[in-house]
Amino acid sequence: MPPKSNKTGRILGRVVPEHFVGRGERLREIAALAAPGSGPRNLLLLAAPHAGASELLRQSFDELFRQRGSASPVYFDFSRKDRTTAAAARRFLHAFLAQTVAHRRHEPALVSSAPPLRGLLDLAAPSDYEWVEGLVESFERAEGAADERSLVRVCFGAPQAAAARGARTVVLLDDVQAAEHLRGEVELGSEVAQAAAQSGVPFVLAGLRRRLLDVLNGAAALGGLDLMKRVHLSALKDGEARALVGHLAGAHGVALNDETRDLAVQQLEGSPAFITSLVRAAQVKGSSLESFRDFQTLYVDELMGGGIHRRFGSVLEEVAPAPGLRRGLLRVLHESATNVGGKSPAEVWLKRLGLDAVELERLMRALHSHELASFQATYVEATPGPVWSDYLRASYRLQVSVEPRALVVADTLVEALKRAPRTMARHYRRESALKLNELMRRFDFQRVPASLLNYDRYARLYRGVPADEVAAGLDAETDLVRLPQVVHAASCAWFHPPMAQVCDEERCAVAHGFDTTTYADAGEVVWVAAEIESKLEAGRALTEVWLERLTQVAVACGFERVRLWLVAPEGFSSEASELLHEREAFGSSRRQLELLAERLGAGAESAAANEFAMEIPMGEDTELIAANTVEQIARRMEFQPEAINQIKTALVEACINASEHSLSTERKIYNRFRVENDKLVITVSSRGLSAPAGISDNGASFVENNGHESGEGAKGRRGWGLKLIRTLMDDVEFERVDDGTRLRMTKYLRK
Amino acid sequence: MTEPSLVPAPPISPGGAEIAVVYAGDYVNKLSGQRIERECLLRLEGGCRGLVINFRGTELVNSIGVSILLGVIEAAEERGTRVVFSHASRHTVKLFDLLGLTRHVALADTDEAALATLAEFAVAPPPGH
Repeated sequence: MPPKSNKTGRILGRVVPEHFVGRGERLREIAALAAPGSGPRNLLLLAAPHAGASELLRQSFDELFRQRGSASPVYFDFSRKDRTTAAAARRFLHAFLAQTVAHRRHEPALVSSAPPLRGLLDLAAPSDYEWVEGLVESFERAEGAADERSLVRVCFGAPQAAAARGARTVVLLDDVQAAEHLRGEVELGSEVAQAAAQSGVPFVLAGLRRRLLDVLNGAAALGGLDLMKRVHLSALKDGEARALVGHLAGAHGVALNDETRDLAVQQLEGSPAFITSLVRAAQVKGSSLESFRDFQTLYVDELMGGGIHRRFGSVLEEVAPAPGLRRGLLRVLHESATNVGGKSPAEVWLKRLGLDAVELERLMRALHSHELASFQATYVEATPGPVWSDYLRASYRLQVSVEPRALVVADTLVEALKRAPRTMARHYRRESALKLNELMRRFDFQRVPASLLNYDRYARLYRGVPADEVAAGLDAETDLVRLPQVVHAASCAWFHPPMAQVCDEERCAVAHGFDTTTYADAGEVVWVAAEIESKLEAGRALTEVWLERLTQVAVACGFERVRLWLVAPEGFSSEASELLHEREAFGSSRRQLELLAERLGAGAESAAANEFAMEIPMGEDTELIAANTVEQIARRMEFQPEAINQIKTALVEACINASEHSLSTERKIYNRFRVENDKLVITVSSRGLSAPAGISDNGASFVENNGHESGEGAKGRRGWGLKLIRTLMDDVEFERVDDGTRLRMTKYLRK
Repeated sequence: MTEPSLVPAPPISPGGAEIAVVYAGDYVNKLSGQRIERECLLRLEGGCRGLVINFRGTELVNSIGVSILLGVIEAAEERGTRVVFSHASRHTVKLFDLLGLTRHVALADTDEAALATLAEFAVAPPPGH
């Protein structure tokens, strides 16, 4: 018989279960602990700050509580407010008994309003009375004897004692790292870890990922911890975070559009805590989230005095309780963040804060735990997250520079608005990157046709050849390249930080591996690869620049045997290919990379009554479908055949522009055809990157891709689309949109 | 969308050099442009001395297709081979004109006229001689 489930809503959860998204797997993992017997009995939940670990445990509690006849859930959060280990232990025992009794009596109200310990005895079921009474008496004896260690062991041993008498529980301990701040003779963290490891009762030990293990280990490493399953809780993935924003906005009646939702996800770093805080603020203020301006206004309010402000403020208060020290801390953190590379020497911190080495170490440990800064040998590095950076900058200006609040608010808002398109552009670039490091991790000694790594050979054999013939040709190739086994791959910028100045993190990778089956010096090889931007075949000059950059990475890092590999979307000119051969480097086009990925088993990563609207996917000549549609509309309007052809050509060009420039992740083009008395107005829009810099509102002065190569080697043969559109249509205008590009084109009827 | 195709024409020039006729298909875009390019380059490498690209039935040409055609013309010029576009519709000719293709290529209404144009080039002495 399945466990009985009642209709009880939230008990400890702060959101209704339907709106708790993105953590289904973790929730099931914790709920499974209630099943007797199988699987791991303990979980270590290593959580990033603001990742929603507390809500996960609370939702897990509610889920388990709803299952009658199963193990009783017990939720307890460690808090500095307890001040002493004895007080924390006392509070734990009370929570344990209250929640266990509440579950076994099926009275959720007892969880939040339980009577004192002795009062719980009266509420315990007859079958539980004996062990509950035994625990209460043991506790009273230990307390009376002022024996802190006994007291802690009685309290945290309660789950084991209950289990021995048939009362099964699942214990969910939150914010475990706070235990280290409690005064007492006993190292509470390691006592708790010991109780979890030895009791046989399922425990979930959750806390900040940079501190949890140290606190649980205490002074001596605890063997039992190694047997616990470790799970990580990071920021939500984009899709999950989008769902969360949507659910919350729906639940709170906040109007939301897709563009603003996606900006919220990117800017708030997928943090459930920040997202929840911001959407709730929108509800409270009666604001909508239908434009970037709406969002940034709320965001700045949150930074300056809302939930986000309180979160960071309370952490800083915890790290530096004295106001003077806190101001000094803001100053050095801000200075570090604004230094090149976000670093400053530890000596500067010592001097500026007036601390001794021990005090500085304590402070750094706290900052490190909350991921606000890192301490690396002799320097301190401020964490570069956008929300923290914004908070830090605004707080510094208000509290240290003592600037007028209105000025700081206005500047922060203006900067946030200016940054929004860049944030989205960064997201689109990241999503459209070929993820070279993931691909290289799959090499694993596989043999692939040499033409996939040599563009000139590929172009000679396969350019313009139907896909099935290409596949057959590759299958028949006898010249094969044996790829190395890659043991580690990461972004170039992590090895050589200057690369971050010239290349997105995802577009350049270093892969360490071996090209012999034995792990020996002779077989050690490092592949350094980069994805370069070029609309046409990359020319020799651009190729040379990139080969130099990759060589610099190799030299700076002391790599000995190196293989350079460049990937350009449309491949390389013959001169560039020659250069690649001279340097013994590989060069591939995006298509080659897709074919390589397939072979490696890693598919690269797809109105008004007088208005017609159609949405087409990008690619596969779908612009023809739009062109055929507009042709029918134009015929009905009795446009002349020549004008119809002009409209079709302009529309095709607009669709191609959208496909080529937007880096859209949803890969859709939205077309609208508005019929008016004397004209046809066509709007083509896509989400993604905005119109390239240099395009004015009327589409004039086209400048390629933000200064990137504009077709070197192709003698400027591309970039004609907008010129054509402007020639073929009567009015052409770019409309300002929050996200992406919208081009409006008008053709007047001349009968 | 119809595929571009290749039809070799009989040799007509006094020197006996081959002339090829390539049919462009109904939509000249990146993919079909590359196919045209491939056919043309194969012919050029084979020693073809004259190319006719036939746009009969071509309804649309986009700017990527035009850029590839321009590449074909350049490749042909480098080898001293002449290119003639035939059967291009008025709209397509205007488009080529707008994008400057007509400065580099001759136009003909029919394939016969295109072959005649190529024959004229073949008998004319090369410039500078």
